[in-house]
Amino acid sequence: MSTVLQDLVNQPYPHGFVTNIESDVAPKGLNEDTIRLISAKKNEPEWLLEFRLKAYRQWLGMEEPKWPNVRYPKIDFQAISYYSAPKPKKKLNSLDEVDPELLRTFEKLGVPMNERAALAGVAVDVIFDSVSVATTYKQRLAEVGIIFCSISEAVQQHPGLVQQYLGTVVPVGDNYYAALNSAVFTDGSFCFIPKGVKCPMDLSTYFRINTQESGQFERTLIIAEEGASVSYLEGCTAPKFDTNQLHAAVVELVALDNADIKYSTVQNWYAGDEQGVGGIYNFVTKRGLCKGVNSRISWTQVETGSAITWKYPSCILRGDNSVGEFYSVALTNHRQQADTGTKMIHLGKNTRSTIVSKGISAGHSNNSYRGLVKIAPTAAGARNYSQCDSMLIGDQCGANTFPYIQVNNPGAQVEHEASTSKIGEDQLFYFAQRGIGAEEAVSMIINGFCKDVFQQLPMEFAVEATKLLGLKLEGSVG
Amino acid sequence: MNTATSNGTLESLLRGQPALPASPLAWLNRLRAEAVDRAGALTVPSTRDEDWRFTDISPLTKMPFHPVSSPSPLDAGEIAGLALPEAGARLVFVDGVYAPHLSYNEAGIVVENLAAGSSRHGTAIEPHLGRHAGFGDNIFAALNTAFLRDGALIVVPCSVSVAAPVHLLFIATQPEAVSYPRCLVVAESGSTVTVVEDFVALQDAAYFTNAVSEIALADSASVRHVRVQRDSSAAFHIANCAVSLACASRYQAVSIALGARISRHNLNVLQASKGAECVIDGLALITGHQLADTHSLVDHAQPHGVSRQSHKCIVDGAAHAVFNGKIMVRPGAQRTDSSQSSRNLLLTGKARIDTKPQLEIFADDVKCAHGATVGQLDDEEVFYLRSRGLSDAAARNLLTYAFGAEIIDRIPVATLRQRLEQIVLAQTHR
Repeated sequence: MSTVLQDLVNQPYPHGFVTNIESDVAPKGLNEDTIRLISAKKNEPEWLLEFRLKAYRQWLGMEEPKWPNVRYPKIDFQAISYYSAPKPKKKLNSLDEVDPELLRTFEKLGVPMNERAALAGVAVDVIFDSVSVATTYKQRLAEVGIIFCSISEAVQQHPGLVQQYLGTVVPVGDNYYAALNSAVFTDGSFCFIPKGVKCPMDLSTYFRINTQESGQFERTLIIAEEGASVSYLEGCTAPKFDTNQLHAAVVELVALDNADIKYSTVQNWYAGDEQGVGGIYNFVTKRGLCKGVNSRISWTQVETGSAITWKYPSCILRGDNSVGEFYSVALTNHRQQADTGTKMIHLGKNTRSTIVSKGISAGHSNNSYRGLVKIAPTAAGARNYSQCDSMLIGDQCGANTFPYIQVNNPGAQVEHEASTSKIGEDQLFYFAQRGIGAEEAVSMIINGFCKDVFQQLPMEFAVEATKLLGLKLEGSVG
Repeated sequence: MNTATSNGTLESLLRGQPALPASPLAWLNRLRAEAVDRAGALTVPSTRDEDWRFTDISPLTKMPFHPVSSPSPLDAGEIAGLALPEAGARLVFVDGVYAPHLSYNEAGIVVENLAAGSSRHGTAIEPHLGRHAGFGDNIFAALNTAFLRDGALIVVPCSVSVAAPVHLLFIATQPEAVSYPRCLVVAESGSTVTVVEDFVALQDAAYFTNAVSEIALADSASVRHVRVQRDSSAAFHIANCAVSLACASRYQAVSIALGARISRHNLNVLQASKGAECVIDGLALITGHQLADTHSLVDHAQPHGVSRQSHKCIVDGAAHAVFNGKIMVRPGAQRTDSSQSSRNLLLTGKARIDTKPQLEIFADDVKCAHGATVGQLDDEEVFYLRSRGLSDAAARNLLTYAFGAEIIDRIPVATLRQRLEQIVLAQTHR
């Protein structure tokens, strides 16, 4: 399957040509002029340009982080073009034209028929009218006062809101890649749920139909006002091919009093071939701020793709009684490397956090959990429960755990547990005895191992995620 | 830390070095020269180094320490309270200098000071001294090795089993003194021995102890190692302990940290051959503005290794405890069975804990588990004791004591165990 994937990734855009190329693609390299160009192209207000320049100036003085447990060649930041107009996608006329391997993948994942076409890049209006569907959704959201649009659109339409919250959770100089993103981000999503509104649908549904080029430096900002609640799903289970090797996204969540944000990610970007050639570097900063009392932020992630994953979806529990949750499944195979985990920063009283992390390593891959639980002196009555389990498939892979626990308040209860296991011969034998083949058995064992996390996913994604893991591990056992 | 300060510190620490007399053993002179070079090349760690992130040793670098040439004359009566009646042999070092009149050996094995023993037992110690406690990137081990002149030497011959413990007593008497205690234990195949390292102070002075212990276990050897650090509350204590385990050998350690303003204990256990087993337990009981840092590494380099670790911290006052326990399972170390627990009790609002139980696993057929808890005394347990008529304070004292006693109970020397229980009882009685 990998050669097909590689071909898919490496194939040029035969139908993609851009008129007036001079004005639509910025020359390679990064300097203040590039940033001014991006800002001007997007017709941004002065404060946003200042925001970008401030980030850029801080970035210049920063060093690439060396502490993650990942190895990769040095990235030449001057060899990247930081702005280009969206590339027109190759349009196909029917599913018959789609690569049969890709269709097989969809089949295995159980992606609904109509979505398969959209994901494969078939002109969607051949199948159904996505524009009208999207519009219906947009109308329903608008009726209750929810703003859901691209961040560029939000900058134009709701500059006050964006200015109020952008960079408040992840400051411009937070880390190397966040600073880079703040300087050059081109697009992303913006979501605002007003006071007391429960979002009537999973925002994922809408998002999936509009599979758009998210771009290399994506910026997402979600704000839930007092009493609001929203469930947001990013990414999708289907393999995603992208020509950009480096992805440095920033996601900021803000939850005010009694608000509830649930953010789910399924990531299956191109991971490189079996020898570790190619693949995407996914360096992401995700952080949520539980600003108000009784607020709740929940991260769920299924990370199966990318050559290198470097992300720590975090919660700052500032409001009293606020709750942070992190559920993660990270699977690495072949030469993939993942250094992922979370940070739970307890500042408010009676704040609670739960961490459930499941790491699966196979092939020659390396999978690390790195987490921080910090209880500040102000966080009386704080509570944390962490569980991180690793599963190793084969003896060439690695599983590491780096849990930092820092407690500064005697009223806090912090518990951390970790275990390591493998798929045993005896387990496979037991399945075989009952007429279940090795492949299916592995899939079932993995599914059981990850159950605690999958339960947190929206239902249809939980089903797909289960199948996805089985697919990713094909051929690694037996 | 800027380089100017660190070099200044180094110079002041290395000042006494050229005065050391050359040893008759060429390899020992070479080892010392290597360590001097290495110490000169390394800088004193700061909190910017991952390994020292939570332990700021800048107060240490500001003190003008100097090695002691003339130790205080102590007589046997002054240390009577520190003696262990069970001990079959005792070596006493006062401010790092060997005190022969306080030492004795009735154990029937080699228990001598290194200066005297190194020429006589050169062939036995050459493969071990300075070979286990690497100083390539560890400035404190490098300094200790650079100053390596004397220390404790224990050699247990093949298949000899010594029931009575060997007591190594390191006494600090002078302020601003720096001492470099060194200990080498060579347990030949099938031998058994118990070693007690005891660090004590006779006055509440600010001094600096920089200790290195190396313990080498041959096939099927068994060593029980008790380490008690009860330095003065103004002292600095940095210790590196390196243990190497051969096939089917067994190492059991109990480390107790009660004293010092800043203490750091690095315990590295290498399972160099298959089927080795280690049980390492630790307790830090600190108060005031003390800082106790334990960094342990259990390196499962070969298959069929077993390790068990239980580390506890009781933190009172505005003290700060740090624990970093790393379990490494190297490629090919199949059938490793490892468990680790870090349990921590915070008694006040100003106390602080930083714990990191860390696993690095590169083999698939292994059983590794670790757990960490941080919390205060359980209200239900307090309630239970109160319902039996204990006062709130008595109930809390009892529970705190019991928390620490679990580790102290594992010390195989009765007198020492009872003495430590008294200390813990006194300290937990509020």
